[in-house]
Amino acid sequence: MTVTSIARALRVPKLIPPYTATGDEIAVFELAHRNRLPVLIKGPTGCGKTRFVEHMAARLGLPLYTVSCHDDLSAADLVGRHLIDASGTYWTDGPLTQAVRHGGICYLDEVVEARKDTTVVLHALSDDRRILPIDRTGEILEAPPEFMLVVSYNPGYQHLLKGLKPSTRQRFVSLAFGFPEAASEIDIVATESGLDHETAKRLVTLANALRRTADHDLEEAPGTRLIVDAAKLIAAGCDPQVACRAAVVECLSDEPEICRALMVVVAAIFGR
Amino acid sequence: MEEQVGIAWHRLVNRLAARRHPAAAIELTSVSRAAALLYRALGGDHGVALQAGAQTRHGARRAWLERLAGSERKADLAWVDGQALRLPPVIDVYPEAGLNRDLYFWLAALCAVDPRPDLPWLTRNQAAALAVTGGFPGLAAGYRRLVAAEIARRPQLDKLPPDEARQEEAIRSALTEPGSVAALPAARRPPHPVLLWLRPELAAAGRAHAAAAPEAAAQAGSALQSDKKRRIAEHAEMPERKGGLMLFRPESIFSWTEYAKIEHETQENEDQDLARAADDLDVIAIAQDQKSVAKKLRMSLDLAAAQGDGAPLDGAGMLPEWDYRTQLLKPDQCRINAVPLGDALPCALPGHLVRDRQRLRRQFAALQPQRQRLKAQPEGSEIDIDPYIRHVAQRSGAGSGFYTDQRQRQRDLACLLLADLSLSTEAWAGEGRRVIDVIRDSLLLFSEALSVTRDRFALVGFSSRQRSDVRFHTLKAFDEAYGDAVRGRINGIAPAYYTRMGAAIRHATGILGRQKARERLLLLLTDGKPNDADHYEGRYGIEDTRKALIAARQAGLRPFCVTVDQEAHEYLPHTFGKSSFIIIRKPSELPARLPLLYALLTR
Repeated sequence: MTVTSIARALRVPKLIPPYTATGDEIAVFELAHRNRLPVLIKGPTGCGKTRFVEHMAARLGLPLYTVSCHDDLSAADLVGRHLIDASGTYWTDGPLTQAVRHGGICYLDEVVEARKDTTVVLHALSDDRRILPIDRTGEILEAPPEFMLVVSYNPGYQHLLKGLKPSTRQRFVSLAFGFPEAASEIDIVATESGLDHETAKRLVTLANALRRTADHDLEEAPGTRLIVDAAKLIAAGCDPQVACRAAVVECLSDEPEICRALMVVVAAIFGR
Repeated sequence: MEEQVGIAWHRLVNRLAARRHPAAAIELTSVSRAAALLYRALGGDHGVALQAGAQTRHGARRAWLERLAGSERKADLAWVDGQALRLPPVIDVYPEAGLNRDLYFWLAALCAVDPRPDLPWLTRNQAAALAVTGGFPGLAAGYRRLVAAEIARRPQLDKLPPDEARQEEAIRSALTEPGSVAALPAARRPPHPVLLWLRPELAAAGRAHAAAAPEAAAQAGSALQSDKKRRIAEHAEMPERKGGLMLFRPESIFSWTEYAKIEHETQENEDQDLARAADDLDVIAIAQDQKSVAKKLRMSLDLAAAQGDGAPLDGAGMLPEWDYRTQLLKPDQCRINAVPLGDALPCALPGHLVRDRQRLRRQFAALQPQRQRLKAQPEGSEIDIDPYIRHVAQRSGAGSGFYTDQRQRQRDLACLLLADLSLSTEAWAGEGRRVIDVIRDSLLLFSEALSVTRDRFALVGFSSRQRSDVRFHTLKAFDEAYGDAVRGRINGIAPAYYTRMGAAIRHATGILGRQKARERLLLLLTDGKPNDADHYEGRYGIEDTRKALIAARQAGLRPFCVTVDQEAHEYLPHTFGKSSFIIIRKPSELPARLPLLYALLTR
């Protein structure tokens, strides 16, 4: 991770991004923050995990350091490393170290994707020690009260060799996210896209119909994000069936036969 | 001569009488995937399969031409039962193909929604139509077009006697305005069948078979093709012949209305006459006796699944079985018998596989755990001098990636391969080879490939003869080296009996669960659905297999299914999950593809 991307990862939101609570997750998150407990968020793709963290960071007035984990992300990418320039070597903090040093939320998205050595770093930070040892510089940073570690993952993906180890999982306060209730999802879709209530309702009916076929016909259920995308296309004047094909159906499967079958469900709701 | 005239007359009058549109016909197979998905999307049960349903006798008035032709006695209607969603095999009643296709989707939606199945036929269907049109505006638009076409197809009001005309009028207004008709006016005949509605409930029929001991030879599953149409079947006692009185003559097939002698295990679709005769029967009564007719017919019968005795077996190490009808895991239902293959002669790899072995060994060598040297890393154990020199020479600001790193690729895997050795694997797989030959080659090449990696693996074959005899053949145990002795055992496998998949998976889960490895892969190699010679078939077998797999996942195993059954996409997503199976289109490719699949799964 280069210096520029670390700078981009830091985000101090000014406006609070809208978020509709589906349960008591806001209260739990606030209490976890007050009691200096790390939080784990699990849920399917596009159900609002990242939006929730952004919302909470703004609400608590904390800077947010987001790191999207990938399979080559190592501990050094989080902690920091020595770089070399014309005058010699110098140390740069990684996003995790920055968050510990200055206080703020460090959000590791899809944490199971990261390499195994990252869990060692996270363990010392996520129990009551709350320290970040940096062996390269010999520093041991103690996390201030404002620091908070938030990780998320999607239990729906079935990686053969990946999964969160129980020893890691048990250090976190866990919030399970699902898809919102139909009524509140209609509101979310309508607010996010500016679409009329009636069409938003049809889109949510479609989403729930498609979710029922997940596991059997689809690898993963369509998330709210997908539906909001379709709603934005329709609000911009796109034909609903065309919008659903482009923003929903083709995103869910690559098999032509399944796509045709999904379009039958779309036609059952948007057909004329 | 007389016969030829008869045939010509039959054809002519049938063509005249048929109010069908073959040019616009839609076959179920062309829409089955979409109809099944729509059914599930609208709330239908994931466990039921989609199948072509039997025709239903309606008893309504027919036009004089139809009566003359003796046709249209039965109609294709849709319904759903515990086993399957039944839709007509072909729809060609409307002049436009689009309408016929829409009728399939309408019926699938109606079966999925059906909010009041307890109500009588008329009100139930109106309630279902209201629910579908209210919830799904797209289907509501299609429904209006379908109603217009259906009314155009129905008998004309002025040609009906007054009582039937009143009845017909009520049906029409119930169609155009669902929910508006509370009761049907009385008439001497039932109304003309309504193709947009679900089938009226039939009276429960028949007693269940007592599970008879199967004859091994009866399951010669040689035909991979089958007669797709299903017939409503009913069990009946074989009439006893007393004092030389012949109750029926087997050769008088055209006038046969009571008993067709159908062996529903030995099925060869070669007698067209019997097939046609069976089509003409309303209910096929299956008599239980062990003698078989010379000419047999393969067809699927809509038999109600028999209950089975369900008494627990005694002895150690019994396995439970899931009964989806009671939603109970019944303990001590299946006995596992380990059948040793001790007398197999050790042998070398057959000549036709030697070339494949060379290729696979090369490919699998890449899977061996080895140290990997990574260059230009931001961190590492040693300095990578090349990028540093380049950097110093260019003097271009900050840089990183001056180290080399060594990384150990770790594999900690145990794999149990469970091969289906039921008699159905004796079927031909094309190119002059049987499925069992393909399985044998697959097992050999799989072992050759895995012996190159250091992954631990075991090979187990299974078959079953009812729940008291689920047979396990250990071809290679985990702690055994792969060699000529194992090859000899693989060479000696032979098809036998049936496929009680749930019990086999539970037993394999136990064996694999004792292995200490971080990743444990349970690979199932099969050619068809779970079935056994008792009540273990259809939905019962599928649901039990599903439960066994859920238990395997909870035990920390990863099950994966490799099948050569081309219709497996109907039930495998439900049992194994969408991404945990693969259908091999050409069985002959299996031996080469199985090891590669393993490599992909464990990468």
